[in-house]
Amino acid sequence: MKSVIEILKEIRPEFDFAASGDFITDGMLDSFDMVTLVAALDKNYGISIPGTDIVPENFQNVQTIEVLLRRSGAKI
Amino acid sequence: MSSIQTPGQVLDAIQKARAGAAAFCTNFFPVESKLQGWIDHRELFAEWHPGAAFFFRTDRDFRHFYFCAADGAALEQGIASSPGLKDGPVTTDLVGSGSTLEHLPPIFERAGFRRYTQLQRLARIGRPETNDGTSDAGFAKKEDGPTALRLIENSFDRHGEQLPSPYEMESAVENHQVLAVKRSGELAGLLFFETQGLASSVRFWAVAEKFRAQRVGSTLMQHYFHIHGTVRRFTLWVNSGNENAITKYRHYGYAPDGLMDHVLAKGMIPQ
Repeated sequence: MKSVIEILKEIRPEFDFAASGDFITDGMLDSFDMVTLVAALDKNYGISIPGTDIVPENFQNVQTIEVLLRRSGAKI
Repeated sequence: MSSIQTPGQVLDAIQKARAGAAAFCTNFFPVESKLQGWIDHRELFAEWHPGAAFFFRTDRDFRHFYFCAADGAALEQGIASSPGLKDGPVTTDLVGSGSTLEHLPPIFERAGFRRYTQLQRLARIGRPETNDGTSDAGFAKKEDGPTALRLIENSFDRHGEQLPSPYEMESAVENHQVLAVKRSGELAGLLFFETQGLASSVRFWAVAEKFRAQRVGSTLMQHYFHIHGTVRRFTLWVNSGNENAITKYRHYGYAPDGLMDHVLAKGMIPQ
């Protein structure tokens, strides 16, 4: 199973996600990337992230994404 | 249709459509600052349907249609009963890559929409090569705004390419998002961009007809890269049929990233 950072790196290899505290403000993820990321996270962790949770504040950094994953039933 | 008065009304409507959604679908990704501008200028209207929220934004002589729906069935039922879709020219953008878009266009086509045009996103990754900064390009000034908007309106398709309104143009000039080259006091060309952190997007790049083949476009693009030395990802949307523009963007290192925007229209194309 891939880590969140590995998945992010696959989607946007040009960015250093580990160095950012806010992917949205730093321009690393846009609305379309979030949709791609959700599909990748669903597949990787065998979950289905609810549509209500696809909001920017859940994708600000690795920690907020991991909170979202746990809430969605992922074992990380 | 109801006029939207606050961003909160929009967010509430989206949340309601999302609640319990099995296959949530949307083409509405509002950026807060733009949303506020639309509301302040009374351009945004909404309709609520079972499992779906629809938004309409007035733009010149037509409206943009945005939707948030619990699934395709809720979207289709809403479209079929929507008063806002019954009259007047309207366009909608369906954005996605590959198979993610397959199920949506038929829903709109059954409701009388027709494929109008198609845009593709190009991306350029990595630190830009920059010149020494010597250039006759600079930020557009307030007095350039109306001329710059006319150049955009004359160079791009208002129905397919999300042109700025006069107040958006004014704001972009004030916020140093528009580069201009002037020759003999006339606006020869412009480059309108939006930058967020490490990403930047070119929205419009245009050269006035009488100044073409005079290196105005290349001056603008080189200056754009020069002032974006820290940016790592450059993107833009271009009409898929505009081979001339695509060739120019490729010259600057842009390439398709797979994302497509299918623009559908109703009420303005012979059916």
